[in-house]
Parts: sequence; C-alpha cells; structure tokens
Amino acid sequence: MKTDVIVIGAGVVGCAVARELSRFRAGVAVLEAGSDVAEGASKANSAIVHAGFDAKPGTNKAKFNVLGNALFENLCRELKVPFRRNGSLVLAFGAEDEKTLEELSARAKANGVPVEIVGRDELRRREPNVSPEATAALWAPTGGICCPYDLTFRMAENAAANGVEFVFDARVASIGKTADGWRLAAADGRVFEAAAVVNCAGVHSDELNNMVSAVKYSIQARRGEYIMLDRDEAGLFSATMFQTPSKMGKGILVSPTVDGTVIVGPTAEDVPDKEDKATTAAGLEKAKAGALRTCPRLPLNKAIAEFSGLRAHETTVGDFILGEAPDAPRFFNAVGVESPGLTSAPAIGAWLAEKAAAALGAARKDPADVSSDCGWWPKMRETPRAEFAEYVRRNPEFGKIVCRCEEVTEGEIRAAIRARVGARTLDGVKRRTRSGMGRCQGGFCTPRIIEILSDELGVRADEFLKSRRTAPAALRGRPAPHEETDVLVVGAGPAGLAAAEAARENGAERVLVVERDYAPGGILQQCIHNGFGLHRFKEELTGPEYAGRYIDRIAALGVPVACGEIVTDIAPPGPGEKAFRVSTLSRKGGLRTYRAKAVVLAMGCRERPRGALMTPGTRPAGVYTAGTMQRLVNMEGMTPGKRVVILGSGDIGLIMARRLTFQGSKVLACVEIMKKSSGLARNVAQCLDDYGIPLLLSHTVTDVEGGERVTGVKVAKVDDAMKPVPGTEIHFDCDTLLLSVGLIPENELTKRAGARMDPATRGPAVTPKMETSIPGLFAAGNVVRVYDLVDWVSRDAAIAGKEAAIYANGLH
Amino acid sequence: MRMVCINCPKGCVLEAVRGADGKVSVTGHTCPRGEKYAIDEMTDPRRMVTGLVRATGLKRPLSVKTRQAVPKGKIQEVLSALARTVVCPPVAIGDTVIADVAGTGVDVVATCNL
Repeated sequence: MKTDVIVIGAGVVGCAVARELSRFRAGVAVLEAGSDVAEGASKANSAIVHAGFDAKPGTNKAKFNVLGNALFENLCRELKVPFRRNGSLVLAFGAEDEKTLEELSARAKANGVPVEIVGRDELRRREPNVSPEATAALWAPTGGICCPYDLTFRMAENAAANGVEFVFDARVASIGKTADGWRLAAADGRVFEAAAVVNCAGVHSDELNNMVSAVKYSIQARRGEYIMLDRDEAGLFSATMFQTPSKMGKGILVSPTVDGTVIVGPTAEDVPDKEDKATTAAGLEKAKAGALRTCPRLPLNKAIAEFSGLRAHETTVGDFILGEAPDAPRFFNAVGVESPGLTSAPAIGAWLAEKAAAALGAARKDPADVSSDCGWWPKMRETPRAEFAEYVRRNPEFGKIVCRCEEVTEGEIRAAIRARVGARTLDGVKRRTRSGMGRCQGGFCTPRIIEILSDELGVRADEFLKSRRTAPAALRGRPAPHEETDVLVVGAGPAGLAAAEAARENGAERVLVVERDYAPGGILQQCIHNGFGLHRFKEELTGPEYAGRYIDRIAALGVPVACGEIVTDIAPPGPGEKAFRVSTLSRKGGLRTYRAKAVVLAMGCRERPRGALMTPGTRPAGVYTAGTMQRLVNMEGMTPGKRVVILGSGDIGLIMARRLTFQGSKVLACVEIMKKSSGLARNVAQCLDDYGIPLLLSHTVTDVEGGERVTGVKVAKVDDAMKPVPGTEIHFDCDTLLLSVGLIPENELTKRAGARMDPATRGPAVTPKMETSIPGLFAAGNVVRVYDLVDWVSRDAAIAGKEAAIYANGLH
Repeated sequence: MRMVCINCPKGCVLEAVRGADGKVSVTGHTCPRGEKYAIDEMTDPRRMVTGLVRATGLKRPLSVKTRQAVPKGKIQEVLSALARTVVCPPVAIGDTVIADVAGTGVDVVATCNL
C-alpha cells in the first residue's frame, strides 16, 4: 500500500492527527498494532480534561494542555461525544499542601488558566462528601470530564468518513528510508509506503523514532490502576477531586465520569513490560487508600470494575516530544504523550497535521468537501424516551435492550458493528456502546452480543475472542442482511416440509425452513424401507422417496431450506412487536437471528435412552437405540454389531431387525415387556416372522454384561406387574443390545419459548389449528405427539402450515 | 394358513385355504389387496426388498429398492447382488442400479439422490 501520510497508532493522538489530516488533500492511512482504535492508554485513563494549571510553564505539556482544553467543547459537540466541564479541585491537607496550592496557582497564571483557592468551608459547601481533613482546595473551573474511547472512536469514524483508511493488526516492525519517503513493514509482512509518517505509537513511540533517528528517546511504561464504582454513586462529587501532585503524577483522584460512574485512581508504578495491564493487589490497595483520604466514606463496596493503563513516560526529556525528527525528514513524532495527553490530543492533532501537510505541500480541502459524519446513532441512555421511541418505531432493533445495566439496545450494538471503523470484538462493542460496562459487567449481555457480532459478521460464535479481531477482512462493512420471514419452520423432516408446503400454498410469501442436518428429509432419509405414502401419495414409497416428493415440491414453490443450521432459541414477539426472533447457529453463518411472523415447530422426537429404563448392569459400548443404529447403518455405512438382541418391539426396532439381518448380522431375539408388540403387526410379520426371529413377549432384559463392549444380556419373563420372574432367565451371547422402547417429542425449544405443555403427550398443548398456547407459534408432527404413520404427520402438519400462513398474513 | 397382511398399517389377519379345486379362498381381508396378498402368499409369496449399495468415494451408501416385489426365495440372492454392487454418483431417485436382479425380471432402483 502506498499513500501520502501514514499515522502509526490509532489511539486518541493518532486519530486526532488522522482526522485533522483528512482536512487536507492527501492520502492518509492509520496503522494500528491492535485490533481496534483506543487499545492502549486511550482506553484506560482518568478520562479527565485537565485545566492545565500543573504543567511547567513553557513546556509542550502546558502549551498543548491549554490549547486542547479550549477545543473540547466544539470538538465534542461536532463528534457528539459526551463532555462536561465539571471543574476540578486540588485538595490540600494541611499547611504544606496549601503551599503547593500556591505554587500551582502561580503556574496556572503563567499558563493562562483561571483558578481560585477556596477555603475549607466553601469546599465543604461545594462538595459535602469531601474529607473534613481537607483544609483548602484549588478550584479550576475549566477542568472537565469526557469519554476517551468514544472520543477516539468518533474521531476515527469522522476521519474514515473523510477518506482515511484504517489498517488493524499491523504492528510496524521496521521502517526504512526510500527515495521519496518511508517504507514500513508490518510484523506480518505487509508493506506500506508513504511520503510522511506521524508516529503516535504511545508506549512504543520511542522504538519507532529510534528506528529512523539518531536522537534517541526512551519510554518508561508507568502503570496506573483504577477502580470504577457503580453509577449509584454518581452524586458523590460534582468536581474532579485531585490531591496535590507528586513527581510521579497527579496523584489519586476521585471523579464523576460522563457515564455516571465514579472513577478512582490512578496509581503510578514503573513497569518493565509495555503491555503489562494487569491490576495488582498492592496497586488497588494504594488506589483505595488514596481515595479514602479524599473521601473517607467512599463506598468501595460499590466497585464494579478494576483496570489499569500504561502511561508513555519519556525519561530523557520528560515532556511531549512533538514535531519532525531533526535527522529524519517527514518523520513526525508524538513521543512521550502521557497526561495531559487526552486533553492535549486535539491540539496535538491539529498542530502535527499542519506540519505534515506543509511538508507534503498538501492544500486544505474546501470546507464544503469535509464531511462532519461521525457515525452517529441514537443512544437510548442519552436520549429522552419520547424521542427514542421514534427511533424504535423506525427501527425496532432499537427497541430491544441487550445490556440491561447500561440500557444499550440491539440497534446500538448493530450500529457500532456496522460503523466505518466498526467494532469487531466484544471489547470494541463495549467501548462504542458501553454494553457490559455496568454493574453486571457483561454477565447478561455477553452471549447476546456475541450472537449479534456473529450475525453481523458471519463469524462462528465460538471463534469470538474478547479483544482480538476474528472477522475476515473481506466482510468489513458488509453486514449480513436480516432474514425477515412470514413463516419460519423449525425442522425439514416430514412435518416441517409439509408445513412449509402448506404455508406457501396458503399465501405466505416468505417461508423459510431451518434444518440442523446437512440435507432436508429428517428421519425419512434413514428410513430406507418401504411402506410410506399409501395414504398421502396412494403408492408405497421408501422414506427417502417420500421425503424426495416434498423436497421437490417445496423447491418448486421456491421455499428455501437452510441446512446445517440449528435453532437455539425462539423468542415470541415482545409487546408491540410483530415477529418472533428465531436464533440459529451454524458453521457457515455463526449465530443468526431470523424474524418470523409465525413459527411452526417441527423438531420431531428423540428416542428414549437406556437410562429411562433403568436396566441394570455395566455400561459397555454396544448399546444403541434403534434409530441411532439405523442412522449408522443406512446413512453412515457402518454395521456395528454381529450378534444382536433387541429390547422393545417398536417399529424402528422391528425394521432394524430385518435391516441388520440383511446386512449379515444375526438377530437373536426381540424382547418385549408387554403382552403384545408395540409395533405394527405387519412389521412383526415381515421383519421378524419372515426371518425366523423370535419375539419374546412379556420378557425383558434384566442384566447387561460386558466391560468394554457388550458380551451378553440376560432376559427374563415378567409377571403381570412387569416384574422379572425368578428362574426364567435366558442368557444371550451378543455384542449389541438395541433399544426400541419409545419416542419422546423433542420440545426444548417449545418450552424455552414458553408454550404450555401437555403432560400426556409430552408435546405442546395445541388447538385444532395446531397452534400452541403462544399465538403464532404452531407445532406439527412428532413434536406434538408420537405418530405411527408419516402420512398422518404430513396431513396434520399441513394444517399447522396453513394456519401459520393465515396468522402471518393477518398481521399485515 | 393364517397370516398378517403387510400391505398397509392396518395389519388384517387373513385366513387362506386351498380348496379341492386348487383355488385359494381368503377370509379376514378388508380390501382386494388383502385377498390378493393371501393368494400370493399361498402360491408365489413375494417381498419388496429395500437395501443399500456402496457408492464410490462416499461413506454414505445408496438406498435402493426392487421396483416390484421379488419372490421371497430370491431375497438372499438379491441381497448378495446388492452387496457386490458399487455405484458411481451422481445417482437420482428412480435410476436403475441393477437390471433384472437375480434373474427375477425386476430392476433394483435408487431411492435417494446421491
């Protein structure tokens, strides 16, 4: 990639520079080592807009602090970033400190910052929660608070709107001179060229400078640890409460934040590792102790988060090092930008951009050509309810709260992902929306946000990491469209296919079938025997043929079947909503959410397992349910048993007796506890009798033997109470026990959706229209009750499909 | 001879008796198919055979059926023929997989698309 200017670092300084450069006729790219903007000190600092009274007069820190402070009002208004001039107070505890206040006051005058010393009583009047030990304070009305990561993001967004390109995960590993500028190689091998470079790399800015210049700098990472308190405590202080500064920094502060929480910190500790952002027990203790000095009743039990950030402290100069490196033309530095870096960033950005543009000879754009777009979206938290209701009316996604603590809606989260410099990680969403920053710290919303990220980016949910970007670059800015449907059918087995067909035929325009298997057809695909369709098609078909008729039919009707996708949740429409939200998970699409005016449940049923029978014995391999065996044999091409005993005489068991016989296995007996077979008489005739397989009625398996694999079973006669009769035991040497002991409707989704269940059928209670207790939620097939015949499943499912279509259309 | 009709899920119990004239008379049936079934069971019992054949390159086998019922006594031969057969996908429902299987005059056809 080749451009005019490359800005290294997408922190608040880099983004400020990039945004200012975007006002010039020049190509600009920002290279960021991390996966998002504001990954370094910009995301973890005190969020204070300093008045500028404590920097030594004449230094860059003093100059840019004061300049930057003055820019904040307009900048934050333009970018719609929260900012409040709450003023700041520096507390003195006794005569020594009061002397320091005098010094600060003198510095303030030299820096042109208005300040005033207030006495104990006035201080207490203004801030009733301040420690009675505080004897005086320096009041600086121009001090303020803002949201540093929102500011950084909005500057980046506005820069992008004006043509700046952002490249993430691009850690600059080397910089070399070219004939007309600089050549930067990223750690992953990507190469970038530019006529000018602006180094805003925070704690790493010294390393980059030292690659090109003989004037060496050295950054010492200075860690600051913080404690965040719940917004319950928003009224604790109105101003930012400092203590008198020390050599290491401005001391521990206690301050309201623009988000309504209270921030406590930072400590100051030099650390050798420039990435060490851990908090420590000692550090947090120090922060607590310092804060308690300011506010003895500080409610530390209201802590919701602890974090730390690293200041980029330059040790040789001790000031911001700004401007062109003396021996590296068109290589501009912003080295050692520590506090008051956030405050200074807007001024540094404007100044450095001016320098770089001048060096390139780039002219300013016509102001009419500069976009003010900062990617704004409505924020529920900051918007009057009546006004917000209008946004919800226009886009119902804004009507769903995802983060309850901070009142962040789904619409906001989707907007944050869809932004130009969009969120690609949980942390990215968090910093753009505040989701997960509240009292539960993401406990409630994290899974939902992962779901939305997956949906928007088409990335598997389990691939999401907290702060590493995982989305393929190609997907950036191209969110997956929503699937809006009239009737969504869960399951593409016989019930689902018939319901989908009927829904489409009865006027539902957009019908979608979601199927968890890789192909439609459901259990019919493994039922390769004949005997299906005499009623429905007036001819005898095998299972796959029966399914094939429906698959062809719904294909002809243009009904899509989303295969390999499993429905994980069905949320009925909330108040004022008209659509169900159906969440699905798939390898290809990750987590998705569909909207459906009506839903037909057609998940079928599952087999009762051995555990449901409480058959004693060991738990070796070789015990299968008949349906599982059927799948293994007919679909997977395996025959996992040579000598087989079948417990239960359900139809699948009988069919499998014949199938296993066909496959060369020996079926020793079919054992049924009841006095007659639970399967169809014709299946006893054609599956057992034809092949001489004994059906032992009023018998059951009393013991399963074997360690690794079944080696045998004991079978005994049962009495009228179905208790084994002693002395009637028969032993079978076998390697497989097949269970065909009943089916249970699969209703996890039904229950989760809140539908009333019928204890007799173990399916949902349904009306004659096949509607569950939830309006618009229909059920079809074995999910309702276990059917003997697929033909009847198709018939009843068609009712469900038809009624679902009518329901959906009634909502237009 | 007593038997259970396998034509439909109803499973009627049929009684078939060969009369002196060699004709089979049937009772217990509720439809003409039942009567025919009983007569066939006495004279030429037949079964549909459904089964599996291997498909090249695939783990999943191809499901197949005899297009019509084959003589009961030929079932084992039909199964042996299936076991010897390997199809090469793509195969569609209804495609002939084995013509005139085991000399029965009946074709084996695919019942799924592979």
